[in-house]
Amino acid sequence: MRLTPRTAAGTFGLACALLATGLSVGCKKAETRKPGEWLVGYSSRDQSAEYTARLGDAVQARAKERGVKLVFVDAQADAQKQISQTENFISQKVDVIILNPCEVEASSPAIDRARAAKIPVVNVNSLTKAAPDCYVGSDDEQAGILAMEAIAKQLNGQGNVLMIHGIMGQSAQIHRDAGARKVLAKYPGLKLLDHQTASWDRAKALALTENWLQAHKGKFQAIFAHNDEMAMGALLALERAGVKKDVYVIGVDAIAQALDAVKSGRLDATVFQDAVGQGRGAIDTAILMAAKQPYEKEVMIPFQVVTRENVDQFLKK
Amino acid sequence: MTATTSPALDRNLLHRLGIVAVLFVIAGLLSVLTDSFATASNLTNVARQVSINGILAVGVTFVLLTGGVDLSLGSVVALSGVACALFAHPGEYPLFVPICVGLLTGGLCGLLNGVLVTRGGIAPFIVTLGMMTVARGLALIFSGGKPVADMSPDLTGLAGDLGPVPIPLICFAAVAVLSWLFLGRFRLGRHLYAVGGNEQAARAAGVSVPKVKLFAYGLCGLLTGLAGVVLAARITTGQPNAGQAYELDAIAAVVIGGTSLSGGVGSVLGTVLGVLLIGVINNGLDLLSVSSYYQAVIKGIIIVGAVWLDRRQARS
Repeated sequence: MRLTPRTAAGTFGLACALLATGLSVGCKKAETRKPGEWLVGYSSRDQSAEYTARLGDAVQARAKERGVKLVFVDAQADAQKQISQTENFISQKVDVIILNPCEVEASSPAIDRARAAKIPVVNVNSLTKAAPDCYVGSDDEQAGILAMEAIAKQLNGQGNVLMIHGIMGQSAQIHRDAGARKVLAKYPGLKLLDHQTASWDRAKALALTENWLQAHKGKFQAIFAHNDEMAMGALLALERAGVKKDVYVIGVDAIAQALDAVKSGRLDATVFQDAVGQGRGAIDTAILMAAKQPYEKEVMIPFQVVTRENVDQFLKK
Repeated sequence: MTATTSPALDRNLLHRLGIVAVLFVIAGLLSVLTDSFATASNLTNVARQVSINGILAVGVTFVLLTGGVDLSLGSVVALSGVACALFAHPGEYPLFVPICVGLLTGGLCGLLNGVLVTRGGIAPFIVTLGMMTVARGLALIFSGGKPVADMSPDLTGLAGDLGPVPIPLICFAAVAVLSWLFLGRFRLGRHLYAVGGNEQAARAAGVSVPKVKLFAYGLCGLLTGLAGVVLAARITTGQPNAGQAYELDAIAAVVIGGTSLSGGVGSVLGTVLGVLLIGVINNGLDLLSVSSYYQAVIKGIIIVGAVWLDRRQARS
């Protein structure tokens, strides 16, 4: 079939129909703002990643609870897109912008634009080079410290550890690594045998751990993965090789699957990052800012280690 | 078109010697530099790790032979894996259901690519680029943005071993052997070369160009679906974010194997060698504890270097 005008028109019509369906399903209608209602813009780093999606849900839930009108957009892990979204917020004249930054450096211009337009900015979950008016989040270094301390305790300060990094150069990777190394420096008997990135990806962590089992079999007693996805990958490799009982595995984030694995005794531990707490903190601070009331410059939501003993209280969250 | 030996095939056999040499040199180096590379357990390990990329690379060989390209592989892997996982909860359906769902999902995406390329007359690059984002979006929609867990042990068992041989390797080997036979012995296989080599001439010789192309994209999709099922079994979940940039490793393997990006020249044997080369590099760099920053650089240099050596040898 050649592309005749008729088929072209048909195809175009089909495309339009698809687009219209997509829009009506995917987007919420832009309503007009009621008087006295605060308008807040939220740019999520990436709604396709489990943790940031949970954070996005928490922000939406809290906004609804507090009667804030939220413009919710997804930067899809692209800092460039995040800057454009911030520019759109400015032209929409939002009262406050909440940014879940994509990158430390590359997302900074978004903050600068907002501040130039005199709109207050809250950073949630991760930092940028340019300082926002308020930071709501958790100290990733603490996550690294907690995880490595758990390992040190388990191994009585003696043994070889492997570390699986997130994407190199991201704020969470840099700080979780720094925290872990602080603890390693404290225990001379604890040695970092090898470390490598698996880019937050389960399949990559699985292959990496399989390779490590070839290179260092029987020589390591613990693995610290910078997130749970990778911890689950490492866990699978160890289980398949039949050596899980000899290796302590800990991740970060407390995603649902990791909690289930802790509960059933497969995974040793994870570090809980409180998405609901961060989302609440961000919206509550935004309301204070919009109402020109005093607010904290930094709201820190603590990490917690989840083990089999306390996993039940996290499964409910 | 009769089944006489095509010159492209003969040249390809000679052509492969360069890659075999590079593969041997790297394997030799790794055997000297590490204690663990040349062990049975590590080689099984490499075989297991290359299987997914291998299945994808063989699939995309068909498309590249026709002079097309498929950029949607990684996203379709994720979508097929999610679709498979959704039907793989324990006790719900017999084992063949999730497997078929995964295969069909991939196959349908491939057929749609093929229809848009042949009937719609849109460039393969654009069509498959569109499919890349659509399939990723659908994977996120069907999974609700979260990994689809709780898969039955029967299905995850597909990533296990049959005796000493990893099942993913069996899948890859079966796909490679069948594809090799198909391209060499079957009329439709020969037609793929003809269409990629010179579309006008093929058409004049009575080959139905759209049918051949549709077949290539459909088969590539089906194999991508298979890769999705194997990946889901391997990581015991349907991950909507899985498979990022898998198309690059697959296409790199095919090109290393001597298949021309402009179509008409190439072989499954070459693709298999390309897949092994990439797999051995990935494994070796981990065994050597090379820092992540250097891994990326070294991998890129080896890939381009291997192709350069290979082409130089082919010219002389």
